[in-house]
Amino acid sequence: MRRDPVLEVRRLCKSFVLHAVSGRSVVAFDDVSFSVAAGEHVALAGMSGAGKSSLLKSIYRTYRPNSGEVWLQIHAGKYVDMCALSDIEVATIRGHEIGYVSQFLRSEPRRGALDIVMKSARQRGMNESDAREAAADALQRVGIEERLWDVYASVLSGGEKQRVNLAAGTVHPPRLLLLDEPLSALDPDNRERALVLISALSHRGVAVVSIFHDLEAIRRLATRVLVLERGQLVAERRPDELDERLAAAAR
Amino acid sequence: MNDTFTERRYDIARLAIPEWLLKVERLGKVYGPYDDEIIASTGSERDTAKSSINGSVVAAWDVSFEVAPGEALGIVGESGSGKTTVLRCLAGDFTPSTGSATIRLGSDDVNIFDVEPAQRRRLRVDTVSVVYQDPSEGLKMNVTAGGNIAEPLTAAGWRNFSKIRARASDLLARTEVPLNRMDDLVRAFSGGMRQRVQIAKALANSPSVVLFDEPTTGLDASVAAGVLDLIRSLLEEHRIAAVVVSHDFSVIEMLTSRCLVMHHGRIVESALTDQLLEDPHHPYTQRLVAAARA
Amino acid sequence: MTLSDLIDRHESGELLDEFAKREIRRATLAAVAIPGYQVPFGSREMPVARGWGSGGLQITLAVTHDDDTVKVIDQGDDDGVNAVNLRRLVTSSTGADETTTASEATVTQSRHRIPEDGLDESSILVLQVPVPEPLRGVERDMRELARMHAEADYSRMWVSLYEDKVRNGVITQTTGYPCLVNERYVVATTPIPRWDIPRLHDAPFLTLFGAGREKRIYAIPPYTIVEPLTFEDVPFEVEDSDGARCSLCGKSESFLVSLPNSTTWLCSDTDWCARQRGSR
Repeated sequence: MRRDPVLEVRRLCKSFVLHAVSGRSVVAFDDVSFSVAAGEHVALAGMSGAGKSSLLKSIYRTYRPNSGEVWLQIHAGKYVDMCALSDIEVATIRGHEIGYVSQFLRSEPRRGALDIVMKSARQRGMNESDAREAAADALQRVGIEERLWDVYASVLSGGEKQRVNLAAGTVHPPRLLLLDEPLSALDPDNRERALVLISALSHRGVAVVSIFHDLEAIRRLATRVLVLERGQLVAERRPDELDERLAAAAR
Repeated sequence: MNDTFTERRYDIARLAIPEWLLKVERLGKVYGPYDDEIIASTGSERDTAKSSINGSVVAAWDVSFEVAPGEALGIVGESGSGKTTVLRCLAGDFTPSTGSATIRLGSDDVNIFDVEPAQRRRLRVDTVSVVYQDPSEGLKMNVTAGGNIAEPLTAAGWRNFSKIRARASDLLARTEVPLNRMDDLVRAFSGGMRQRVQIAKALANSPSVVLFDEPTTGLDASVAAGVLDLIRSLLEEHRIAAVVVSHDFSVIEMLTSRCLVMHHGRIVESALTDQLLEDPHHPYTQRLVAAARA
Repeated sequence: MTLSDLIDRHESGELLDEFAKREIRRATLAAVAIPGYQVPFGSREMPVARGWGSGGLQITLAVTHDDDTVKVIDQGDDDGVNAVNLRRLVTSSTGADETTTASEATVTQSRHRIPEDGLDESSILVLQVPVPEPLRGVERDMRELARMHAEADYSRMWVSLYEDKVRNGVITQTTGYPCLVNERYVVATTPIPRWDIPRLHDAPFLTLFGAGREKRIYAIPPYTIVEPLTFEDVPFEVEDSDGARCSLCGKSESFLVSLPNSTTWLCSDTDWCARQRGSR
């Protein structure tokens, strides 16, 4: 049975105009279309610079695509094109519906881990006390000890920051989860914990679009793999079809 | 499936997209005579706010934006870009040349540029508060911290001494001013502490709009950090519609979700704050962000 | 002009010409029509120094006819040098009779007191005012002052009361306590003591305030609401002489003043005191 997509990207294009370099235009990706259903996990693969991160940022609308559509399910049978919304609508909807976990936690200065995760939960519609409970739970799942919850996230280690980031992205699970190398700084135990968490979210119906630099994560988590090459979507693979060459390139 | 995809209306009730509380339309402030030609002779593309035709200064022109409750809108730009002019017009300190600024008060919409000066000032007491860069503009230096907060309270009709004291100490506690300093003259306070008192005063009558004009500029870095944290937590606690004017991207990034970029009196770009920082479009914004990231 | 010309002129009662009187009456009428509002007037030179009752004197001269009876007190005393001089000026200029008994007077001019009794609907009380602007202590800019009055924006006055209470534990202002008149304008009641403030409220007589140096006239018409500015939970209190009695009449229910460097108390209102002794 084919499920309605949570995300449908249509003919999305993004290029940058660099005014400081006499208006040179740099294409990030071009004419990308794909869709992701609830519970599906689509991994993006390709060489560094192929446009994977730009694509994730464009879906999240940190980048503003030049053309194309990003349809997001916000309600059973209801969709919005993130590219056609006002800024305040985008801000509200993405806070509510999308979790974005980047490689680096660019945490606000002087904010504790629990506070960061709580803020995410509140944006997703939880009240203060539910958010506190959910945030505590999410931090426990990613293995952040309670003694670190009030510590400013900016002083945590790289791995700890990444786990806080993951907790914020997955707390009170959003409809769509965007993962940009969320495991890169994790030690084996925590990596395993994160893999279990992400896999569990897929089972709960969260749609995931991810970028992983290791084949094992893709094989364990992804249901489909989209291969990008110089900004073009060139192939779709099953995770078990991914060869070492492609994985190496991604690394 | 195509049918549902083309539907752009969505369930507002469920997502609670906030509606505007402050709406500024085509605000303009010009020093000197002006007409279309003079206006057209200024702006970002002309790289000047001063008209070469008659020397008039177009400090702000065609500035429009909306702010929702619980939202902070940033206005960023260099000094002279017009950002403070916009804020001062909204504060009632400057009289705009043209445009409107509507505040939704219950079921009424009030254009604050259009009301009598007396009503304007009353709005400043209980609806629109301002936090100035220089605390001496927002505070009486030879009055105690508590007395400064008593001013908007008494202006709003508070006549009970103990209740005024209780409210003032509550506000000072929230802005982390030690209560044992409540009865000290503001003159005796440090810069950061003065700014906290000014913020406490601004919140006295639970305004629906708060305008921040470079609220941490001029403070030592560590002091500025504390004041920024305070503003951030207050904005998160209260359903305030805030406008934050700053030349400092780190302030804008921390406090706001949406942002306008002004250059020579014009808005050159308007976007989500993360978009401006990561994907700036306008040449001026790109320069500004590059400088901030350097 | 010789000295004798001046004396003739003075004795012919030309202290204030009819045009000047008319102008002052107009200002006075405006003041009565807008209780508490400070009406500007063209203050004339008087044969007393400004600040020594020239404003009160001009009002008194303008409202007094030859069939009036005038009482003038300084502090509460009819026999103070200043009171005697002013009374002489008024009676010689207007032809009015003079009295020391408040109930007989149709016009009473005073600087510091409201007579303890005797004023009724037929009385006019003229108070000499050195500083008519109640907000002078919190603002000096005239335009801002005008705005504050126009908008009844008295928050800074409240702040000064707040500060006074915080600093001193009580509101220390003694004379000239600020009052809200007719629920609209704040006035300076300079310089009568707190004791007299409640007696302005709903009073049967007309009170006219004249400030010669500042060129302002304001009024509290009969039966007007006069409220001292005070916080709900900080009651307004009049001076308390702690059970003291007047060493002359033995009464304790009037406003008492102590003699310098002594514990001896006397009635401030000498005429009232004398009547108490007479009736005893």
